Amino acid sequence: MREEPFRRLERVWFLMSPVSPYRQTRPTELNFEDLVRPQVEYLFRLAWRFTGSVADAEDLVQDVLLKLFPRTQEMLAIQRLRPWLARVLYHQYVDSVRQRARSPVLQLVVDGDSEEDPLDKVPTTREGPEEHAERSGQRDLILAALRQLNPEQRAVVTMHDVEGYSLEELETMLGTPIGTLKSRLHRARQRLRALLPEEPFSAG
Amino acid sequence: MECKDFIAHLDDYLDGRAQDDAVRDHLAGCAECRRRYQLALGVQSALRKLAPPDVHPAFVDRAIARATRQDAAAAHPRRRAVLGMALAATLVLGLSLGAFFSMRDAPVQTVTLAVEKPETVRLVFSSAKPLRAATLSLALPDNVELVGYAGRRDLTWQTDLREGQNLLQLPLVARGAVKDELVAKLSHGTSSKTFRVKFEIAKSGAPGM
Repeated sequence: MREEPFRRLERVWFLMSPVSPYRQTRPTELNFEDLVRPQVEYLFRLAWRFTGSVADAEDLVQDVLLKLFPRTQEMLAIQRLRPWLARVLYHQYVDSVRQRARSPVLQLVVDGDSEEDPLDKVPTTREGPEEHAERSGQRDLILAALRQLNPEQRAVVTMHDVEGYSLEELETMLGTPIGTLKSRLHRARQRLRALLPEEPFSAG
Repeated sequence: MECKDFIAHLDDYLDGRAQDDAVRDHLAGCAECRRRYQLALGVQSALRKLAPPDVHPAFVDRAIARATRQDAAAAHPRRRAVLGMALAATLVLGLSLGAFFSMRDAPVQTVTLAVEKPETVRLVFSSAKPLRAATLSLALPDNVELVGYAGRRDLTWQTDLREGQNLLQLPLVARGAVKDELVAKLSHGTSSKTFRVKFEIAKSGAPGM
């Protein structure tokens, strides 16, 4: 009975210990920058894979950082920051897609009619025109196919098939049951296979 | 094992979760399922090879600075761009568009507005390459206002377009029946392209597309 209060104290200390006294006395801005600067590139890459656009990826990362700054003390206590940040980014992404769906969007293609501009036919890279067309053609096809997925499917296929998180890790990270993740992944892959032509995508 | 069973196991097999003999035997003996498997592998590998562009170093500094200032308005220059650019707006009369119009004009699109209810219309300009110092002009029809710029019908400004999608958010409000179209004209060098937006006024007051 006499030991009980000590045990309790020990547990409380264990939960609180990751925040060093040094960090607690520093200005929040410095701690925040130390924590997030090494992660911004990763967040941007993930955001680009979710959104397929540099502008949208930057907006998404900016929104996440704005939300994170007031949570700097909470972040200081997190052992594995990267998956935690990926989770915040994922939720922000899904929310922003839903929010945008509520406001009218007009898609305007500025210079898609490149065949009308002879200057556009001049290849600008050192690749031969055929290699360039093939590579950028495949990239466009994948990006277009990814745009056909809903945000949850796109996120799970990115985080699992590209970033290498297992379904078990994603279950913990995203707080989504593994069965739901499995069926999202299945639908996402099925849709991508249906949308992408066997030539040139088959590995065979 | 039949093909339908293999298809049911394909995801697990791809992830190394179904490495049993029955699956392997079926794959060895069925050309159709081998084709399915090869396509699945190929799509996975193409996804992994899809390299994101490099993050702009200036973006990292800017994004951290804005987050620590908690400056949500400054955080989205593209979103608030219309306000910043509209301040510098001048009358569009006399704008020279050059002699050559090589781009086809885009088809008309329709947006539904409710009278006196501001609605943000998002114009996404998809550009296959960066366009520096493009001129964008907007001509608003009667009874449509840009929020905060009552009475302004014509706005024009210079802007850089990035490769990919460029977002312009227009907070618009309808003051009554709208007959004409909004005309957005983008010109760059000797080329220009015109986008037209039609308006419908929602009877019940419920906005939407």
